[in-house]
Amino acid sequence: MTAADVAGLHGTRRRPGRTAVWIRPERVKELSLLGVIVVALLVFSFLVDDYFSGRFFNRVTTSVAITAVLAVAQTLVIVTRNIDLSVGSIVGVTAYLTGQFASSNPSTSPAVAIAIAVGLGALLGAINGVIVAYGRVPAIITTLGTLAIYRSWLISHGEGKTITADSLPSWVVDLPTRTAFSIGGLDIRVVFAVVVVIVVVLQVAMQRLRWGRRLYAIGSNPEAAAQAGLPTRRLVLGAFIACGALSGFAGFLFLSRFGNITVVAGQGLELDSVAAAVVGGVSVLGGSGTLVGAFLGAVLIDVLDQSLVRVPQVSEFWRNAILGALILAAVIADVVIGRRFRRRWSAEARPHTRVDGSGDESDATRVPALTAAEQSGRPDA
Amino acid sequence: MPEWTRERSWELLLAVILVGTIVYNATQSPVYLDVDNFVNLFRLSIEKVIVAVAMTFVIINGEIDLSVASVMAFAACVLAAAHESGVPFGLAIAIALAAAASAGFVQGLVVAKTGISSLVVTLAGLIGFRGAARVLLEDRSIGEFPDWFGDLGRADFLGPMPFALVLFLVMLVVGGVILHRTSFGRRVYVIGNNADVARFSGIDVARVKLVLFTMSGLVAGVAGVLFAARLGSVRANIGEGFELDIITMVLLGGVSIFGGSGTLLGVALAICIVLNLRNGLGLANVEANTQTGVIGALLIVSVLAQNLLDRLPLRRREAEVEA
Amino acid sequence: MTDASAPGPVPVLAMRGICKRFGATRALEDVSLELRRGEVHALVGENGAGKSTLIKVMTGVYPPDEGEVLVDGEPVSLRSAADAQRLGIAAIYQEPLIFPDLSVAENIFIGHQDQGHVVRWRQMCADAEAILARLDVHIDPRIPASGLPVATQQAIEIAKAISLDVRVLIMDEPTAALSAHEVERLFRQVRQLRDAGVAVLFISHRLDEVFEIADRVSVFRDGRHVSTDARDDVTRPRLIAAMVGRQMSDFYARHDHHAGDVILRVRDLGRTGKFAGVSFDLRRGEVLGLAGLVGAGRTDIALALFGIAPAETGAIELDGKPVTIATPRQALDHGIAYLSEDRRHVGLSLPQSVTANITLPSLRRYVSRLGLVNGAAERSAAERFRRQLSIRTAGLSQPVGLLSGGNQQKTMLAKWLNTEPAVLILDEPTRGIDVGAKADVHQIIDELARSGMAIVLISSDLPEVLAVSDRVLVMREGEQTGVFDRSEATQERVMTAAVGVA
Repeated sequence: MTAADVAGLHGTRRRPGRTAVWIRPERVKELSLLGVIVVALLVFSFLVDDYFSGRFFNRVTTSVAITAVLAVAQTLVIVTRNIDLSVGSIVGVTAYLTGQFASSNPSTSPAVAIAIAVGLGALLGAINGVIVAYGRVPAIITTLGTLAIYRSWLISHGEGKTITADSLPSWVVDLPTRTAFSIGGLDIRVVFAVVVVIVVVLQVAMQRLRWGRRLYAIGSNPEAAAQAGLPTRRLVLGAFIACGALSGFAGFLFLSRFGNITVVAGQGLELDSVAAAVVGGVSVLGGSGTLVGAFLGAVLIDVLDQSLVRVPQVSEFWRNAILGALILAAVIADVVIGRRFRRRWSAEARPHTRVDGSGDESDATRVPALTAAEQSGRPDA
Repeated sequence: MPEWTRERSWELLLAVILVGTIVYNATQSPVYLDVDNFVNLFRLSIEKVIVAVAMTFVIINGEIDLSVASVMAFAACVLAAAHESGVPFGLAIAIALAAAASAGFVQGLVVAKTGISSLVVTLAGLIGFRGAARVLLEDRSIGEFPDWFGDLGRADFLGPMPFALVLFLVMLVVGGVILHRTSFGRRVYVIGNNADVARFSGIDVARVKLVLFTMSGLVAGVAGVLFAARLGSVRANIGEGFELDIITMVLLGGVSIFGGSGTLLGVALAICIVLNLRNGLGLANVEANTQTGVIGALLIVSVLAQNLLDRLPLRRREAEVEA
Repeated sequence: MTDASAPGPVPVLAMRGICKRFGATRALEDVSLELRRGEVHALVGENGAGKSTLIKVMTGVYPPDEGEVLVDGEPVSLRSAADAQRLGIAAIYQEPLIFPDLSVAENIFIGHQDQGHVVRWRQMCADAEAILARLDVHIDPRIPASGLPVATQQAIEIAKAISLDVRVLIMDEPTAALSAHEVERLFRQVRQLRDAGVAVLFISHRLDEVFEIADRVSVFRDGRHVSTDARDDVTRPRLIAAMVGRQMSDFYARHDHHAGDVILRVRDLGRTGKFAGVSFDLRRGEVLGLAGLVGAGRTDIALALFGIAPAETGAIELDGKPVTIATPRQALDHGIAYLSEDRRHVGLSLPQSVTANITLPSLRRYVSRLGLVNGAAERSAAERFRRQLSIRTAGLSQPVGLLSGGNQQKTMLAKWLNTEPAVLILDEPTRGIDVGAKADVHQIIDELARSGMAIVLISSDLPEVLAVSDRVLVMREGEQTGVFDRSEATQERVMTAAVGVA
């Protein structure tokens, strides 16, 4: 936030003009997230011997791939003021079924396997989307229900059998270790590279495509969106389908990474995805937050996870406790800093402003993902 | 009086469904109508049911507490860890309850003072307190509690009912009185309806929320202690996934997820329905996990049904009257 | 070039024989109305007269039960907001509907259906800036729309409509939250639209504004269309008569008040960024009017006295004793009550009963030892107020959201009177309610003052302030610029103090 930015913010009464350098609020969040990651890395390099190694880099990039994809998927839904708690179950179902298919059809090509996983995920996401958008059941309830339904179906279907790595075509199991290219001493894995590409492409889509901007609009003000003639229900359905499809892809990555898939695969991943998004600056109230931010949030969490494990004084059992504290800290910091920023961002030209505190209290009066993208009491539009 | 009749109509619907479920189950199995069987119904899920009473208050207030299962485990682990360290058992129980109440208090404080959505805060709590439980017990299992404790959890206390069931019934009655007949209960509803109106009417919104979250934590702690008593041993992963059943019971009971409406009577009926459903499915040899899937479907259907009821002409008029 | 005063050949939008019912309520009954190109058509009527329903039918939110809607003479079927938008019909409401997280430019262009899949940022921002400049609004279109003043948000909505080549623009009470200066700018924008050929439907309670901006004026009453006249063919009294169905003077003739001793003394009150250096005395039985433009800080003073946004500097004395007011509960305990300007979102709990709303702040009076609420005592209190204030409701257990605006206002008044305050602060108590209820409220204020209550009246309706108050305190940009006694307060003097020397 430069002085030029502050000088450039003006109300209706001051001199008009454009700022020289315009930094969007989201960029600031992303940059600060990057900063926190760097600080964390530095701190840990003191606590852990031989911290910066190629192996560590590989470990992080491999494990973050799955949560990064899920964080991005979750963000698409959260910006519309919804939430998808069933992604963990979707990962489990798609990983398991794709694994089953691949092990009974050894000649399965990568394209087909991915297509199955993504298609299946999209279908499960579509079910969520229809119930939320057309049945007007709040997303938290719908996805809490489908979390159970999908998982229970998988358990019945699986009958306790595990998909074993041996039964899978070798390319599936080898995928995590394949390197795309190397920079200096670091190997960039194919999987990681693909995930980064996906994140970048989707980020651009959300910023540049009308479809993406409309998702933000729905979350920002559902009533205004309906009044502006936006096809809100179709858009929300689309967000859930996209989320499901990405979760299916994550399921494929899960399959290739772990090989041995049990019927409880993916359990709990939904929490990680929400945590990563929240830490990454995505607001559960909808309307704001970027995919890059969610990606960075996943990276931060994973870096902490992997690093804590290597600090000798800290036992692995601390992982969840620290994660919980981290989420809280991230959200509180976001709110506190965000409020301070918002006061400077807003072109509120005092004292000709409306005295209703809009801008500061607007968060508190907006209902978060607890409610669907519909407003109660409004007659059917 | 559309609002009033709508609420009553939901309870009526639930009562019909409950009777239907009981009748069906009774025809399938002759022992169904036995008193012992009914007590058994509750026995296995008594901890969830106790928490559901507290959750009702929280949701009517317009918030949610996703951390209850984790706080339950946390309290049980505090108890077990204290016991393991040789702390006198009565004191250990007190410490466990205090820890649970503090867990609720902290979350409530964050929600009340910063205005951050309770969804996020209690999600962090869900993760964090499960983690705290894991820090305490790691992957061990602690048991060997005093005999009187095991009796408290399993033996008959009043007639054929165990202590926990009696406690639940007392909580139901007391909770019902507080929610529906006291000014505190009135405040809970108003805040859930519209926190700003409550504030402008002189209600200390922050304090009410703080009280509710602390109570939610405390009740989760009680449930955790009773769980330990019933099971006889404690692991860090107990109660995982309980929140689904608990939230289902409350929402099926007609409590709106948006806050401001719903009754404990409805929740009580919904609890009976869910328990009967699980019991009946179990007797019909449906696996536990499939039962869970059915509960999930029930959750969705219950809200769909509420939506449909909302769209009846009773409600339409409200949308028309404007400033 | 269209001659703005001559009727066009075919009305842009015509409603013929429109009927709309909700259950037993007839919101619109055989309504016909024509909107012409390049004309500002004002619509006046009491609350419950059917104006909002009409807007909803026009914008495709409600389908009419009977009758037809014609655009350019052709019957159309409006089944959604998108349909209306495609036909060039747009509506702007009192509370602008904007997307806080999106930029100003995006807010303007988000609804466009035909712009392709990719957003052209630079073009969009340039276009946005141009449209806004035409409306005399100069802001950077890249900034988020949240936190902008209401007037600017409204301008964004107007810009949105312009960008969609709106042909019919419906404005529902657009000046309710604007300062006089902003109203002037809005009128310029409206005239611009009119000259460009847009048909503007201007709905307002403020007859002064109607006479300033409208070309034709229509009156609705009880769901029916009563009259339509050219602006020059009507007078205020005739309009009011048509609105209420009977001859009536605007304001209730008030009695003389005998002010008692000082109950509230405020010295040098201030809150950073809101107001500073406010000092006044308030006597029992006195009505002190707070006049000034919107945003001058009047509500802020009230919020400080009521403990919602406490003052940071200065002193407050009640009955000679210094007090600190940090929460609304403290204010109530000291006998200060505040009737807020926003009754739907902050003043009343709409789904709850009339009784529950009335007793809400004073609940502790109806509570027994155990904390149980005495329902019978509550109901009798509510009944007392129902009679006293003539609140029209089907029953005291009716959800208050079902009452008309005027009766909701009276319920809110009852709620605060029930706290038995010594000082009652009323913030825009007659905003958005019909003339009949307005007069009732003025009468009630008068009676309360005569019974010894000290009243602070915040109102943007200058004639109202002058008619009802004993003294008028004027605020401008957070500072107190004048206190006038009733005898010396004239519109000119007060306005001058409110806007400062030009």
